[in-house]
Amino acid sequence: MTTEHRMIDIVLVLYAAAAAGYFISGGQRWLGKVSFWLASIGLAANLIALVNRVSLSGRLPLSNGYEFLLSFTFITVLMYLLYEILSENKKASGVVMLMGTLLITAIIVLMPQQIGETTPLMPALKSPWLTVHVITAIIAYSAFTLAAGLAIIQLRNAISTDDSAIYKIVSAGFAMLSLSIVLGAIWAEQVWGSYWTWDPKETWALVTWIIYAIYLHLHRQRGWRGNNARILVIIGFLLVLFTFFGVNYLLPGLHSYA
Amino acid sequence: MHFYKFVSSMTTGLVLLALIGLASAVGSSLWPENFFQAWPFRLLLLFLFINMALCTINTSTRFFRHRAKISKNWKILFRSAGLLMLHAGIVLILIGAGLYSYLGHSVQLSILEGDTVEINKVIPVDNSFSLKLHTFSIEFNADGSPSQYYSEMEVLEAGKTALAKTVSVNHPLVYKGVKAYQSSYGYLTDVVVQDGDAAPKTVLAQDGDFIQFADTTRTVKVFKYIPHFDPEIGLETKSMEPVNPRVVYSVYEGTELLGVGAAPFGEPISIDENVSIEFKQVRPYTVLTVKTDPGLPLVTTGGLLLMLGVCMVLFGPSSRKKEVSSVHDN
Ligand code: HEM
Repeated sequence: MTTEHRMIDIVLVLYAAAAAGYFISGGQRWLGKVSFWLASIGLAANLIALVNRVSLSGRLPLSNGYEFLLSFTFITVLMYLLYEILSENKKASGVVMLMGTLLITAIIVLMPQQIGETTPLMPALKSPWLTVHVITAIIAYSAFTLAAGLAIIQLRNAISTDDSAIYKIVSAGFAMLSLSIVLGAIWAEQVWGSYWTWDPKETWALVTWIIYAIYLHLHRQRGWRGNNARILVIIGFLLVLFTFFGVNYLLPGLHSYA
Repeated sequence: MHFYKFVSSMTTGLVLLALIGLASAVGSSLWPENFFQAWPFRLLLLFLFINMALCTINTSTRFFRHRAKISKNWKILFRSAGLLMLHAGIVLILIGAGLYSYLGHSVQLSILEGDTVEINKVIPVDNSFSLKLHTFSIEFNADGSPSQYYSEMEVLEAGKTALAKTVSVNHPLVYKGVKAYQSSYGYLTDVVVQDGDAAPKTVLAQDGDFIQFADTTRTVKVFKYIPHFDPEIGLETKSMEPVNPRVVYSVYEGTELLGVGAAPFGEPISIDENVSIEFKQVRPYTVLTVKTDPGLPLVTTGGLLLMLGVCMVLFGPSSRKKEVSSVHDN
């Protein structure tokens, strides 16, 4: 057990406790508050784990599956807590914190060998284009995760028809995903001489991008507001998960080191 | 007119997008090798291109017709410009990618240290030039893994140096519309052959080559160059660094294997009476991907427009939805 393993465990426990707290609070204010603080302390622990990672490896925590997930979870929870503070709406907290918990669990289950290890970057990965490609991907994925969390709650409660928050968050995520795909293509062109090869990762990222493009058009031009729109947002999120986990662990491809 | 409206409508565009998404998902799972080059998929992309090109033209004519009205509200102007850039960017990318698939070329080119290659022998270009490899080298991390590959190249035109450039991973050479990328590398081995009483001669062997002799029926297979030989590991190299360079070879009589060895450089190995070989040195060669892509400027411009446009629309000042869509309504 390295210090890093222990840090990941602490983050996991805090996120799981926050999720559980939200789920059993049933509207009780004090439990909701406790959960908020558990989530915030979890976020701080997540940040410390990231900083520790940076000091170990001497570079941004973006270069393998473990670092990606740790940053991805951090940004997701950060965005969620900001959303909760700004909207004063706690309804999605259980779902989002559960997603955070599952993402950290995925690190422990799927890539335990990467925790506490640093290996030098292979030459292809040494590129500023790659850095901005991954940062924008993480922000996009986090936005889509949060949007899906909100969509799930609205779908279940079937009350408020105001989905403007979801629309705004998906818009931000879509812009980031667009940047990420173009920046990734620029990187691929520099390193291999082809900006698009239809490898599985690229293909599934494109499918994800298309789903959200369709959502944005239908939302704005066709006035899609109800459950159909929410289901599209959730499908988009499932595609995000497949693009990351499915492609890395089920299919072979150029990106299998990511 | 009905037809034009149908072909350029957003609904058609969205249906095409959905079909392309579905086809990509299914195609990449079932036929990952060739689905995206097959004509049905290309046809879908062509339809999307036509639809989006017309849709973009419509939007821009509307944009300029209503310019006076739009420009009163700079937020709407900003958003409309962003939308135009975003959709036009995608159209440019589709055109550029189409140009590459019909007019572009990409080949793998191996050059031995010291050798020069005439570029129009490997890829069609208008103004030919030559590429010379001076040296190929690998830089290592502390743990022995490679940290960078360097090919010191020189571009020659009419025998004169036009450009000197070290190509490495992520740093391609660009010259007159041709780009060369560090792709791979390998080694050839200089083998000095002493065959009977004849004067020794040197042959250049690739991994896997056989050497035959006049004075014996035995043959030698130059199996593999191993930069960091470790008997514990055997045929795999421990690292890419030349810590203990050896050449693994095997000796045959007909098809019968007589023995296997891992020879250091500079030591003669007796194969039979009067016949010996000596591995003298390895000579690295670089493998470059050499590419011409007349569509690349368009694709790059399209990508930049797409990035800029999408940020202007989705992060820009959000004007009220009603006003904005009224400008664009058909
Ligand atoms: C991959 C393809 C496409 C992408 C990424 C894309 C992206 C976008 C985005 C981000 C918006 C802004 C939506 C919003 O504000 O919620 C938009 C609006 C729009 N798009 Fe597309 N689009 C694509 C294809 C198409 C196609 C095929 C058409 C029509 C043929 C089209 C026509 C429009 C129109 C008319 C608008 C609305 C303009 C407005 O709201 O004022 N788009 N598009």
